[in-house]
Amino acid sequence: MDRLLRNKKAIIMFVAPAFILFTLVLFIPICKAVYYSFCNYKTLHPIKFIGLKNYVKLFTKDRAMMAALKNSIFFMIFSIVTQFIMGLFLAALLTNIRRGRNLFKNIYYLPCVLSSAALGLLWMFVFTPKLGINQMMASFGWIADCTEGPQWLFNTEGFIILPIIVISFVALWQYVGQSMMLYMAQISGISSDIFEAAAIDGCSKSQAFFRITLPLIRPMIATAMSLNAIGSLKFFDLVYNMIPEGFLGDKAHVLATHMYTQAFKFNKLGYGSAIGVVLLVMCLIVTVIINKFVKVESYDM
Amino acid sequence: MSAKTETISVANRKTKISHVFIYTFLVILALIYLLPLAWVVLTSLKDDSVLMISPWALPARPMFENYSFSWTMGHLGIATLNSFIVCTVTLFFSMLFGAMAAFGIAKMRWKLSKYMLLYFMIGMMIPVHCVLIPLFVQFSSLKLSNTLIGIVIPYITFSLPITIYILVGFFESIPNELFESACIDGCSVFKMFTMVGIPLAKTGFMVTGLMTFVGNWNELLLAMVFISNEAKKTLPVSLTKFVGPYHTNYCQMFAAIVIAVIPTIIVYCCFANQIVEGLTAGAVKG
Repeated sequence: MDRLLRNKKAIIMFVAPAFILFTLVLFIPICKAVYYSFCNYKTLHPIKFIGLKNYVKLFTKDRAMMAALKNSIFFMIFSIVTQFIMGLFLAALLTNIRRGRNLFKNIYYLPCVLSSAALGLLWMFVFTPKLGINQMMASFGWIADCTEGPQWLFNTEGFIILPIIVISFVALWQYVGQSMMLYMAQISGISSDIFEAAAIDGCSKSQAFFRITLPLIRPMIATAMSLNAIGSLKFFDLVYNMIPEGFLGDKAHVLATHMYTQAFKFNKLGYGSAIGVVLLVMCLIVTVIINKFVKVESYDM
Repeated sequence: MSAKTETISVANRKTKISHVFIYTFLVILALIYLLPLAWVVLTSLKDDSVLMISPWALPARPMFENYSFSWTMGHLGIATLNSFIVCTVTLFFSMLFGAMAAFGIAKMRWKLSKYMLLYFMIGMMIPVHCVLIPLFVQFSSLKLSNTLIGIVIPYITFSLPITIYILVGFFESIPNELFESACIDGCSVFKMFTMVGIPLAKTGFMVTGLMTFVGNWNELLLAMVFISNEAKKTLPVSLTKFVGPYHTNYCQMFAAIVIAVIPTIIVYCCFANQIVEGLTAGAVKG
């Protein structure tokens, strides 16, 4: 048995396809992206090494980049906080009820499996000034006329512009089911003995939640939070489909849309790579921070 | 004794009241989730001029022309076929490679297995965007851009981390005794993998399969960058054509949305209940 499982040839056979694919399509391209980010590289032009110039330009002259950074960081913080609270709240509610648990769970998870490109179109329509929500508000008499309602997707005032806030709520609507699912999976893994023992000791439900459930699912909180953070940093589909290109100028960019525009609309591949590298570094930093502060040694369940 | 029963009934009444609140909240939230989707279906059957006047009313006469129009004019037929091919091929290979690697990591005994798992896990932290540009350059020089293979290869790669992560959990939960008895019966390592490992990790395959399929069905950015040929576009890319400041026929757009989401809804309905089970087994270790 041991000899069989230590068979080097078999191990290589098992792991090699995934390993090779992973290295060729993920790790070598990342190294290349880092190299491109130090180059002046445009489509159909030769590559020229220019050192840190792309990054200097990115952080000092590029106003769209500033907006993109601001919006992306806002998305990230918003989604980490709200998804944590809502996801955990829903998971706690759903694990406490018996009837209809599966039904509600399946409903809340449903938008996660739908295409954000398609849902983006739907919400774009709902928030169009003359239609959707404003029309509904007008018919209830809350606002006099459709045109007087908030310009949901076209208002560019404020530090965080309204469209970005609207989109972050849509994203919460769409993806909170995922956090809920992860927390539910973890909570239902906790042995019921612990809760029974606590109940005998006179522990109330809310006490049980804060003193037992929360500490026990801490590893999962770290996982779910990092997934949220990465997911919100690489946010593309909803923004791209809800805000028609070029309508709001530079203000409504997030990192992914900014990278896409620079690299594939203006053909500045080197510059786009620099944005991609910034995105990558942010993802890694956030994951490390979250895991350092939230994750603790896992308890035995 | 009587005091005890009294406290119990008080507690019961309390839970009943709180249950009313909980269920009301859950139902309202469920409506927030379902109404927009139901509304999309309704609107897709309407006429655009009616939509502008009364967007929330029921359609007077269902307009199935919207569907046939967006199906033919939006090239959604070919897009659906492309999406289907891409997703099935990706699903097959990512499951195969992922399961093999997961088995190698979880059950085979070698020193570097932990580091190998870590190597794959790093992939979960890396967004597609970072490798988009180098891949695009590389694939254009290999003449792989504008082909379906060109998007299948990155899709497989990016589906691997989550597949391996979940399946390692499943394989580790299979007791070693099973493999030992298989070994005594004269099984080779590969037979162990196909005859013992795969059947026992069935739930894991369903969950990862669902995630891979759905994720790739909905993927937009990579497909948009790699494919410019109309005949090779996948569904999400074709959808973006329906929006624009110049020509938007909303009802046809909604018909296109329905066409794009129906396959994932069907797949989801078949496997929905397995998701939590699969996540529990795979992700408990965090």
